[in-house]
Amino acid sequence: MIELPVITKPESDSGSPHKRFWRSLRDLERDPEFIRSAKTEFLPGASDAPGESSRRQFVQLMAASMAMVSLSACRKPVEKILPYTRKPEEIVPGNALHYATSMPDRGVVSGLLVESREGRPVKIEGNPQHPYNQGSSGVFEQASILNLYDPDRSQQVLRDGTTSTWADFVAAARQLGSSNRTLAVVSEPVSSPTLAGLRSQLSQNFGTVLWSEYDPTLAGRQEAGYSSAFGTRVRPRFRFSQATTIVSFDADFLAPTSFGFIENTREYAASRRITEPTDSVSRLYAIESDYSITGGMADNRLGLRSGEIASFAAAVASLVGVAGAGRAGLAFVDHPFAKAIADELQQSGRNSVCVAGASQPELVHTLCAAINDQLGAIGTTVELLNTSTVSQPNTSVEDVISRMRSGTVDVLLVLGANPAYDIPSSFAEAMSSVATTIHCGSHVDETARLAGWHLPKSHYLEAWGDGRAYDGTLSVIQPLIAPLYDSHSDIEVLNVLANGTDLAGYDLVRQQWSNVISSNFEQRWKQVLHDGILPSTSFATVSASTGAINFAGLAANAVDDIEVVIRADSTVLDGSFANNAWLQETPDPVTKIVWDNVALLSQATADQLGVGGYVSKGKYYADLITIEANGSSVELPVWIVPGHADNSITLSLGYGRNISTTREQRRKVFFDTDQRTDVYGSGALANGVGKNVAVLRTGPAESIVRGVSVSRTGADYLLATTQDHGATEPDSVTIEKRDPVRMATVDEYRANPDFVVETEPLLPGGEDWDVYPELWSKSHPKEENAFKDNPYFQNQWAMSIDLNTCTGCNTCMVACQSENNIQVVGKDEVSRGREMHWIRMDRYFVSDGDLSDNPQMVVQPVPCMHCENAPCESVCPVAATVHSPDGTNQMIYNRCIGTRYCANNCPYKVRRFNFYNWTKTLPLSVHMAQNPDVTVRSRGVMEKCSYCIQRIRKANAVSNLENRTIEEGDVQTACQQACPAQAITFGDLTDPDSEINKVRSSSRRYEMLAPLNVKPRTSYLARINNPDPALAQSEA
Amino acid sequence: MSTTNTGDARELAVDFHGDEPLISGDMSFHDITELVSGHTEKRTPLGWLAAFAVANIGLLILVTSIAYLFWNGTGVWGLNNPVGWGFAIVNFVFWVGIGHAGTLISAILFLFRQQWRTAINRSAEAMTIFAVICALVFPGIHVGRVWAAYWMLPIPNQMEMWPQFKSPLLWDVFAVSVYFTVSLVFWYVGMIPDLATLRDRATKGLRQKVLGFFSMGWTGANRHWRNYEKAYLLLAALATPLVLSVHSVVSFDFAVSVVPGWHTTIFPPYFVAGAIFSGFAMVVTLLVIARRIYKIENIITIGHLEKMNIIILLTGTMVGFAYITEFFMAWYSGVEYEQYAFLNRATGPYAWAYWTMMSCNLLFPQFFWIKKLRRSIPFMFVASIIVNIGMWFERFVITVTSLHRDYLPSSWDYYSPTIIDVLTLIGSFGLFFTLFLLFLRFLPMVAMAEIKAVKPEADPHFYDHSGDGQASGTPSLTSSHSE
Repeated sequence: MIELPVITKPESDSGSPHKRFWRSLRDLERDPEFIRSAKTEFLPGASDAPGESSRRQFVQLMAASMAMVSLSACRKPVEKILPYTRKPEEIVPGNALHYATSMPDRGVVSGLLVESREGRPVKIEGNPQHPYNQGSSGVFEQASILNLYDPDRSQQVLRDGTTSTWADFVAAARQLGSSNRTLAVVSEPVSSPTLAGLRSQLSQNFGTVLWSEYDPTLAGRQEAGYSSAFGTRVRPRFRFSQATTIVSFDADFLAPTSFGFIENTREYAASRRITEPTDSVSRLYAIESDYSITGGMADNRLGLRSGEIASFAAAVASLVGVAGAGRAGLAFVDHPFAKAIADELQQSGRNSVCVAGASQPELVHTLCAAINDQLGAIGTTVELLNTSTVSQPNTSVEDVISRMRSGTVDVLLVLGANPAYDIPSSFAEAMSSVATTIHCGSHVDETARLAGWHLPKSHYLEAWGDGRAYDGTLSVIQPLIAPLYDSHSDIEVLNVLANGTDLAGYDLVRQQWSNVISSNFEQRWKQVLHDGILPSTSFATVSASTGAINFAGLAANAVDDIEVVIRADSTVLDGSFANNAWLQETPDPVTKIVWDNVALLSQATADQLGVGGYVSKGKYYADLITIEANGSSVELPVWIVPGHADNSITLSLGYGRNISTTREQRRKVFFDTDQRTDVYGSGALANGVGKNVAVLRTGPAESIVRGVSVSRTGADYLLATTQDHGATEPDSVTIEKRDPVRMATVDEYRANPDFVVETEPLLPGGEDWDVYPELWSKSHPKEENAFKDNPYFQNQWAMSIDLNTCTGCNTCMVACQSENNIQVVGKDEVSRGREMHWIRMDRYFVSDGDLSDNPQMVVQPVPCMHCENAPCESVCPVAATVHSPDGTNQMIYNRCIGTRYCANNCPYKVRRFNFYNWTKTLPLSVHMAQNPDVTVRSRGVMEKCSYCIQRIRKANAVSNLENRTIEEGDVQTACQQACPAQAITFGDLTDPDSEINKVRSSSRRYEMLAPLNVKPRTSYLARINNPDPALAQSEA
Repeated sequence: MSTTNTGDARELAVDFHGDEPLISGDMSFHDITELVSGHTEKRTPLGWLAAFAVANIGLLILVTSIAYLFWNGTGVWGLNNPVGWGFAIVNFVFWVGIGHAGTLISAILFLFRQQWRTAINRSAEAMTIFAVICALVFPGIHVGRVWAAYWMLPIPNQMEMWPQFKSPLLWDVFAVSVYFTVSLVFWYVGMIPDLATLRDRATKGLRQKVLGFFSMGWTGANRHWRNYEKAYLLLAALATPLVLSVHSVVSFDFAVSVVPGWHTTIFPPYFVAGAIFSGFAMVVTLLVIARRIYKIENIITIGHLEKMNIIILLTGTMVGFAYITEFFMAWYSGVEYEQYAFLNRATGPYAWAYWTMMSCNLLFPQFFWIKKLRRSIPFMFVASIIVNIGMWFERFVITVTSLHRDYLPSSWDYYSPTIIDVLTLIGSFGLFFTLFLLFLRFLPMVAMAEIKAVKPEADPHFYDHSGDGQASGTPSLTSSHSE
């Protein structure tokens, strides 16, 4: 078996006491004379234990002999790998195994199917059997595999910062319990029944147990708001597929940061999917302060300060007849937008839905519940899930902090959370008043360094656990690998505190589940492990109605000062994904910025503050501003977003981390560029990236900070983006003429279903471009018999992307990165324009006529087009990029010499060049995240989207063995599989019944840059907007 | 030959055929031999050593920056995703262009019986060869995996894996290597009689042996001359199409692609004109200095330089015309991408490069309409350097501005060179001057045998009528000389 050398656990320096054996009294006394004589008894080296120096000698000898061997043989050294002497039953080397598990995320779990290669998890997919995922996944699910192999993870138990052991902790923890002691737990939101069970056992050991949970992204506000609206604990589940009118009040429900993102996106996409012009399309209104993914999908969008949205929502509420909202909404009751929305809501009645965002106070969520109830939408577009069975925290984190300060907390357990970072204003200082502090987390982070005990927390792929999905379905967390380090799961830690026993997570989970599964446990348990879920365990839906609620608190704040809105970051969430290189390099969906957080503001506000940025040599330098609030300040670069609300600044959480790492630093040589290109360079990856904006708020509940002062520092700061690259803004007329993204309104589409073809920019003179002679017309490989005889020839692959359902959430980008071993290049290299993503997300702003301050945003994922008449192929001097018999354009890495001619000649610019050896500096543990089916590219070769050719070939092999042809669904590309909107269709053109053929017959289908006659296999379905005609009139 | 005869000939030579004499001053055949050979035989001048040291520093810079590149990868250059080609390809095309003048002078002008070429052909050819060597450095180092660059050559292998013959880069490999080989052979063959002259004058053993080896047993026999002349003529005929083909093929690298701004049918003639333009400018730059330092003003006269300046004026205007034609065609095509590509050149972020190119290449050579400037050494020196700056920028404009903004605005970016890019360019001049200085020091910088042939007394009929200097049947040119 191959020994993976990555998990080198540092030697524990607290040796346990052991028996001593001695030969004589002098030996026992450690007489120096005796030791010397004993040491020189034998020839030098003869009695040496295999210690440090002899290992070196050994390596030297080996190196010398290797050198001599290579001199005599002149061949590459062959590393020996040993076969299994006894092969484990399931494992066939080279074949992947898939296990169902779940990823916990802020109090819910996401059902996953994880691919394991020789005992090593490598790729995460959504579990098709899971009711929440239905096979899809999100950005964070996809990227979480890299968290497992994060080289900066905490690797050992620490006691007051020095190395300790788990056994020591267990021993110490047994002494903690006492009936007059108060235990306070600060946890991330959890839904694990096992954990809840253990929590109830804590009171056996402690006099008082304070259990608090907090979520810096405030995703739980919605549930709290709905619960107070209906007077019972309920969680809303939105059925956007049933909706004809959707209103978002600062709710970015299509963003991966939102609660229930996968289901929201799937449901929303269902309401936008069009096959015929007559199909109905939902209408989405978005009222928001910054530009979000949801705002980009909106048919009508209004940029409004987050602080005023509550009042705006109240105006809409009063217009649709919600009692008690009139006064609060006075400021906006005459706003044309509010009127239009109210009209539309009333028209749609029970098929309408209003959603409030995490930035909005609970009362706004309550108001939305009231609106939905008023419209009769409860039961159609909004399902109320009864979550009263879920154990709730018995106090808030604010309360815990104040008790800590007053010294009434004896033992503090921080479970998975990082409050010293999230609540920097008070938590760290309050921690010092607690005698015993225990932190269980994945990194030695801000809180861990302050805690007396730090316990490494196992990744969900290496520990047993359980949880409930958004809809309540009981799901099991099944490990795929033994813990890489000396880590334990939250339930194991809690069990020690609750029972004083050191039980394995597996036993704890089974114990809990044996209560749930009463009969026939073993068999049903096996089924649960296989499926990942216990079916029919979702929360019951309840029907309830709202009572009279006082909404007076929602009145608009008349003060016209600058507000600061703090939101979860679209790529690193609340900082828990900050040490994930894939996510740091995933561009923000709107700004396309990587490796930084910025202060987003509108052009008018920027002008008012006198800030902006400038382009120098293709790099963008933004002005830095200092934002001061609540006695703290943060310095951030500004970024102007079209359509952002004036007098509002949006900041994102999750940056400015400070993680301690034990990873060894690489030696740096002056002539080596590694020091510039190594993203894992010095210290933890997340350190030094961006700033922590949580310092501006007093607690996690404060999402809109008022009373800020903003000033320009005079300095500027380099920002790296994956689009524009600091290029000066392209002329809007130019983009329009190129028409990469085609769109129309529903009415235009119904009047003229063939608009995409007609807006195709024709060549002058109206010639038909598709009759032009082709480069290969005489000798195209596909005309040759050898090509036709190839068994692959019977499938012809193609892809289609529906721009009407694609939201631009970036899930496909991360899925592709994980599947295809795409390397991360770091901020500096991205600013040079060298990012490696095979599928990129192009974003354009669209506005009618003159430059509007509220343009529409459109996104377009761009993978390789796999042109039938590929311009890249004909220019390669060494035939390193060629066409396959099944119609894909392939890169032959080991033939490529890196002339970059193909990239120059690619009109879509999808080719990516390895300017450096990006993998040379990868820590060994990150190597384990690489997919063994896909070549890791070396320096100097070109790469690009391959349509996941490794998956196609695997399907070829399987179908060949089964003596059948490839069937629909045998091959799914990584991007297609992950896409929560199911916007990507991939399939075989030769199969007349295939989905791809159906999609390609759509009248909305177009090919980008079609007049070049490159005949792309990837095509797009045009976007159809459904703007409110009433608003169009009022604007005109 | 008697003293009186020589005297007469010198006097008569002044107006032979009515033109300005190709060789001025009172130079006998022997004087020419002494002058040219002397420079290779005397002690190494200090000035040469100083220049050689400077050139060697340049060469060292080149070697170091290439070593740095090889160690780290192509990323040390300023290239990025839309701009896959930068300084390396610009330098390659620039140096290939420089390498055009020599073979044009020696082959095409030879076939057209332009006898004024004899004064400059040797050094121009040397310059060609060294420029092509500089050019050949770049395709080798610009690839991502330098250790596999030889895969571009059609080397038979057990995989039956051949290069992809549809790729213009491959045509490039053939075109430039053939051009280099033929130019080298042509240069060497032309040098054999002169090498024999040096051999005959050599006094030291090693020098005799080396020169003896390279002069291939030349004795000056009639049979040798006969074979030599035939070989030279054949090689000239062989080299002539290459002069036109090599830069046409280089232009295919661009013209065959789909990139707006590259995909242009005007490229082959436009590139050839540009190459001749820059090549002649380089010859002027070098010879203006060399003729002064080596005191060969009588051999390379102001008349020679003026003729070259006329060619610079002609080709510069052709190139300028091509620039304007491109703009017209972009507008006339009605294709958005083409129109934008050219508009972006003139007004986009690289407008400075475009206008540098326009003023250096189109406007500046127009001063050569003025005869006085055409014959002014300081002016032509400055002008020739400006022309080459302009031509370097032409290649930069074509390569970079077309790539940095092509079809999809989402991918647009900006290319800015790194210090390594700049050092490699500087270093390539170091290589060039190192080679050129070695040439000046060790080889006859003027084709002695050929230049003697254009002197009036070399005409076999010069002495037909009792030494009147007139060939038989030649009408009397001026009465004042028919003494």
